[in-house]
Amino acid sequence: MVVSRIPPPAASLLRRPPSHRLSRFSSAAVSPSATPPPTPETFSSRRRRWETPLFLRPLTHSASRDDLKAFHSWASSLVLSAAAAASRPPHPSDPEPAHLLRELRWLLQDASTESFDPHQLFSSSSSSAAAAISPVPLRAELGELYGIWRERVEERRPLQYLVGCEHWRDMVLVVREGVLIPRPETEAVVDMVAEVAVTAAAEGEGGGPWADLGTGSGALAVGIARVLGDGKGGKVYATDVSSDAIEVAKINVQRYGLEDKVEIRQGSWFQPLGDLDGKLAGLVSNPPYIPSRHLPGLQPEVSGHEPWLALDGGEDGLDHLLHLCNGSSSALRPGGFFVFETNGDDQSEFIADFVTTKCRGCFNGVKIVPDFSGIGRFVTGFRR
Amino acid sequence: MRFLGLGVVWRRRLPRVLELSESSPAVLLSGSVAFRALPPSSAWTPSLVWDLRSYSTETQPQLTTGIIKIMEQRMVAIEQRSAYLHERVNQPEATTAEYSTANKELQQLEDTMELIRDLRAKQKEIDGLKSLLVECPEDKDMQHMATEEMSAAREEEKRLQLLLLKSLLPKDDADEKDCILEVRAGTGGEEASLFAMDIFKMYEKFSQKKGWQFDVVEIMVSDLKGYKEASAAISGPGAYGLLKFESGVHRVQRVPVTEKSGRIHTSAVSVAILPQASAVDVQVRNEDLKIDTYRSGGSGGQHANTTNSAVRITHLPSGLTVSIQDERSQHMNKSKALKVLYARLYELERSRQHASRSKLRAQQIGSGDRSERIRTYNFPQGRVTDHRVGITVHSIAEVLEGESLEALINALLLQEEMDAIASFTSGSSL
Repeated sequence: MVVSRIPPPAASLLRRPPSHRLSRFSSAAVSPSATPPPTPETFSSRRRRWETPLFLRPLTHSASRDDLKAFHSWASSLVLSAAAAASRPPHPSDPEPAHLLRELRWLLQDASTESFDPHQLFSSSSSSAAAAISPVPLRAELGELYGIWRERVEERRPLQYLVGCEHWRDMVLVVREGVLIPRPETEAVVDMVAEVAVTAAAEGEGGGPWADLGTGSGALAVGIARVLGDGKGGKVYATDVSSDAIEVAKINVQRYGLEDKVEIRQGSWFQPLGDLDGKLAGLVSNPPYIPSRHLPGLQPEVSGHEPWLALDGGEDGLDHLLHLCNGSSSALRPGGFFVFETNGDDQSEFIADFVTTKCRGCFNGVKIVPDFSGIGRFVTGFRR
Repeated sequence: MRFLGLGVVWRRRLPRVLELSESSPAVLLSGSVAFRALPPSSAWTPSLVWDLRSYSTETQPQLTTGIIKIMEQRMVAIEQRSAYLHERVNQPEATTAEYSTANKELQQLEDTMELIRDLRAKQKEIDGLKSLLVECPEDKDMQHMATEEMSAAREEEKRLQLLLLKSLLPKDDADEKDCILEVRAGTGGEEASLFAMDIFKMYEKFSQKKGWQFDVVEIMVSDLKGYKEASAAISGPGAYGLLKFESGVHRVQRVPVTEKSGRIHTSAVSVAILPQASAVDVQVRNEDLKIDTYRSGGSGGQHANTTNSAVRITHLPSGLTVSIQDERSQHMNKSKALKVLYARLYELERSRQHASRSKLRAQQIGSGDRSERIRTYNFPQGRVTDHRVGITVHSIAEVLEGESLEALINALLLQEEMDAIASFTSGSSL
């Protein structure tokens, strides 16, 4: 089920009436026995990979307010008509029309300036006449925005890939196809690391290197590097087996000026960190933890566009987590801290249990920490 | 609070109503302004007399014997308190708790004590010069020098007395803080929502002028794209102290855009300004908070790609709930929700304290009665009137652009200062 498409020229997308046809990706309900299709590598996505993300491009284009108003109206009606025409009952994680309209606002802000408020396009009141006439600066041709929005609604391509960034914690991270889009739940890992680092500093236990295994976009590496400021730890080492991840993580490390603090090494899990064995003050990971058979049935944004390499945890979803548990006992120094994100309650309990019993006396203080939805999302503990 | 440049004379009689015309040389506010002193509620309330010739930024309120006498009483009380606290702090048997509370109060009194010490020293110097003048009436040079030094000392004494008065006046600790602005359309349907939007934008422009950060928290839009409700976090030193007078009901009189017959309608918008607070200010612990996020019904985590990171925080002890949804990351939604929650909790605590204040203080400006009608914006006549100080500004457009708002605020600050001095002289320190 590989689909390759040549993207139509932008001009022809201008003011096309909204299409009621939904892409095959979003409507197909794949039977459990079908072999999972590989991540679709469309021509367009491969080509887009090398372009500057939309939100970082210069404001070299512009559009009149009237044209933007027309775009906004078209985009809103596309959302509503797609929702109405859905040929199957909505999946619980399908984006709601209200959320898509909010994404539309963010798309317009990323495509122009942060202060741009689409609401202004429609308000008829006292704003000054001059502002009402002047064109709005844009980072792309309006035609491209039509194409982008169509991809969002009809092909369920994640907004984050379309604008090239994900807002995560208090940062704006570059993301693109080939790296997992950082999840809101994972934000809590940075807070846990901060707490541990503060306690360690207060008790006079100095720094030491930390590691983010399977760094993807580098979100956790950059996040923990920022809380492990000078005096609260040594470097942060980020590993990932994927070249896409290495490339994007490097960009994010640079964007936050952390080249001296964060070192990125390509390789699988602990493998590039042999020189640090037994020395790590802490390690964090959000490894792929979804059971393989669940992948095709995921929300289309995820199954159709995000890299399965970052999601597939093997039969029970536990393959990588177990590998991490096994490696942590030798990688961490005595007193070293670990936190792993898991698929939720059952997996967390299994891992917590495994860690406590597998290597008797290896770890203590093992806890399951819930996320804000009340799901037991993280397993944390210390190397004895 | 600062002393604004007007001559204030305290009279114990019925006040006069004073109207300044546009051509008067000493107008407080730029543009054309008419000023009326409000009839006060008690005989002690001062009337405002314009010292037209000497209006300048150096003009200070005059210290009457009444004020000075009361200040002297306060000075003695503070000196005694400070001595007592010093003694307690130096006691070897003092427990750490006693020590720290005593020390804390000492630190709070320190600035005032320093002024008192300086003032006492200056008054001693003046006494010395007085006796010098009396003792050697024939020595012309000595007389001359002593007289000069005396006048310099008197100036300095007055300066110190004014500083001391300022430090003795009741202060609102919250004046320095950032604030949360909440605008809500009241009676008037769509028209009220449209005006609510105008007012919200007015504060945005004013904030920009002052160099403050204006961070929209939430906007609820009406059918005609007005704002039913809108709130923002305004950050900048002293933001609350300047904007606090905006709390209340703003009334607008104009022909609505929806009105076909050209009839004037009156609608209302209510504004609330809350000081921002920190977790420490409101003594909130992590255990007191319950944080919920939007659950897609699925398993979350890697399963879902959602841009909806709405957060709802419940403060368990009080039951207060805040939900924020429009930030692009859950972390930012949560941090904004905490900001609003702390501000609301702080406000709860402050209104509790307000309720226990003296009646006089409660009547004064800025006492925070949200339903008080404070201002009217009359479009057909092109003027904005603040009912608390009786000031009218004749340019609605300028006000809505955030321009003349500063002038109104200055007048309100002055009134607040007068009220504070009134409670000072009436002996009520709350």
